[in-house]
Amino acid sequence: MHKSILFGLATVALFSAPVQADTLEDVKKAGMLKCGVSTGLAGFSQKDEKGSWSGLDVDVCRGVAAAVLGDASKVTYKPLTAKERFTALQSGEIDILSRNTTWTHTRDTSLGLNFAGTIYYDGTGFMVSKKLGVKSALELDGAAACIQAGTSTELAIADYFRENNMKYKVVTFDTSDQTRTGLESGRCDFLVSDQSQLYALRIGLKDPAGAIVLPEVISKEPLGPVVRQGDDKWFNITKWVVNASIEGEFQGVTSENADELAKSGKPGQKRLLGTEGDLGEKLGLSKDWALNVIKQVGNYSESFERNVGQDSPLKIKRGLNAQWNNGGILYSPAMR
Amino acid sequence: MQEFKVLPDLPAPVKTVGPVAWLKNNLFSSWLNGLATIVVVAILAKLLPGLLDWLFFSANWTGTSQDACTKEGACWVFINSWSKQFFYGSYPDGQLWRINLVLAMLVGIITLSIFISKEYRNKIVVPLFLLLPFIGLIILDGSLIGLQVVSTDLWGGFTLNVLLAAASIIVAFPLGALWALGRRSEMPLARSISIILIEFFRGVPVLALFFMGSVMLPLFFPEGTTVDKLVRVWIVLVLFMSGYMAEVFRGGFQAIPKGQYEAADAIGLGYWQKNALIIFPQVIKVSMPNILATFVMLFKNTTFLLIIGIFEMLSTAQTALTNSNWLGGHSTEAYLFVGLVFWVCCYSMSLIATSIERKLNTDHRN
Repeated sequence: MHKSILFGLATVALFSAPVQADTLEDVKKAGMLKCGVSTGLAGFSQKDEKGSWSGLDVDVCRGVAAAVLGDASKVTYKPLTAKERFTALQSGEIDILSRNTTWTHTRDTSLGLNFAGTIYYDGTGFMVSKKLGVKSALELDGAAACIQAGTSTELAIADYFRENNMKYKVVTFDTSDQTRTGLESGRCDFLVSDQSQLYALRIGLKDPAGAIVLPEVISKEPLGPVVRQGDDKWFNITKWVVNASIEGEFQGVTSENADELAKSGKPGQKRLLGTEGDLGEKLGLSKDWALNVIKQVGNYSESFERNVGQDSPLKIKRGLNAQWNNGGILYSPAMR
Repeated sequence: MQEFKVLPDLPAPVKTVGPVAWLKNNLFSSWLNGLATIVVVAILAKLLPGLLDWLFFSANWTGTSQDACTKEGACWVFINSWSKQFFYGSYPDGQLWRINLVLAMLVGIITLSIFISKEYRNKIVVPLFLLLPFIGLIILDGSLIGLQVVSTDLWGGFTLNVLLAAASIIVAFPLGALWALGRRSEMPLARSISIILIEFFRGVPVLALFFMGSVMLPLFFPEGTTVDKLVRVWIVLVLFMSGYMAEVFRGGFQAIPKGQYEAADAIGLGYWQKNALIIFPQVIKVSMPNILATFVMLFKNTTFLLIIGIFEMLSTAQTALTNSNWLGGHSTEAYLFVGLVFWVCCYSMSLIATSIERKLNTDHRN
């Protein structure tokens, strides 16, 4: 297993020599953005019955298309499995990878890729039945855990319990569906998985209200879009589209009031929306790049609530993903 | 004169005909079989009511969203809502006639090949079959004939399974025959190339081949050239299938008596004439059961495409299960449905296969 990973990395490194590619030019010429997404992850990239895509990851694609082409719908979605995703980006099959990819040191430094920010701070979390009356993970000493076998979750929970001098029993299952059944049938006291996943699993319970997700997050899983290394212009565009949507929320610009604020807003809002200054030109885009992003896709808060938050079946709370002045760690660098 | 009176026919003894005899012969012929019958009936009696109840009586049939599934049983609303995705993928609504047209052409040619008279079969049906994948590709893609261009990302669903399987087998058929001929050839180069190709594509698991096609191949292409993923997968399927077909044909070649070759040589036929006119028709007849079995296998193999993110039917089911509006745990319904569709298709194929075999059977029975 390890050998094959090394071999994979070596192959990837061998063929990922930096190329002088101009992705921006290619995308403009094609009139379409090729965006790599997941084959299906609730709230992040999902297809509906009509075949159209939505989700937090998908909104990054739509945002970049809105900024570059002025139309959020000009995206060709390329569904990718976890194994294919980096090759697809390196070989140029896609222009941008937005597929719940965790930003890690190894990936950032050895794959010839650049992570253009974080759109969702995920991490391993716990779900327990309300009947248990547990309010914090520290009260779980001696309990049995339902875990999906072969995931990094196993390592995270082992570390966490050892650090806190607590004991636990492990009940492993093959798929995440089975862990849910395990919790339901009482084979374990709590379920461990990525937080975003826990909310999706909770919906499938016979009594979703009877289970709660504990506040503790015990590992770092920052998810964000990825682009090829060696094309700084494109890297900047992706990075600042993500920032524009976060800054949009911070400045109170929404899809509904964006047009109005562009004319009569505060100086900061006008600068963001392109009526003042030349932020767009510096990226190689039109003046109204951020206006298009926020008008067509919405600011971060709108996108979050629509896809995974209170307006969606998942009902994930903002938590870490709130603005920095609101208890979270979302922070856009200065727009000036 | 004594008059003979015909006695009326007596009914057969109860023990040899009628339902009682049937029961005795088929279900209770020995005490062991009798016991097995009782156990099976007991199990069915215990499981069947619950199963039927879940499947039909308390199942949810009407509605458009998950909220309509209020009853205990299966949520068929899920299958119903996603049925377009299951069969056609994301192909644009107004353009579905193109898929139907290609499918109709496929069915048409298959029917033609069964009913057309022998003299014309080779002259008409074979070229039609060979042209079909390319005509189908042109119609579905649409860029060459001025229709709305539909990129392959939007193709999907059950029709993709059918079309990919058909397009692969049609190309693999002649290719496999060539490889089989090459393997039997006396020319060292042709022989060794054929052996290497056959053994490679037969020896490597199809999953590994798919991964090579989707993950490794793109890295070897020069920068900026990307071959469509579906085309790469099609090529992989064709090569994989050719390896298998070549071995099926080789078995057929070996079953042909040596006298046939000698007779062909004796009347002065060349290599290609000999194979095309004398040997190959017999090979096809002999290997028919295996050819059809291989085809059924290939058809089911197309579901493996889910591991490289192509939305064939099974992968569509998995995607549907992750949609946040349908997270209520409908996996049983989804997999049952996909399984049923594939079973119906494969079973009908094996029925067709049996009828073709019977038709081709011109055996010298001793």
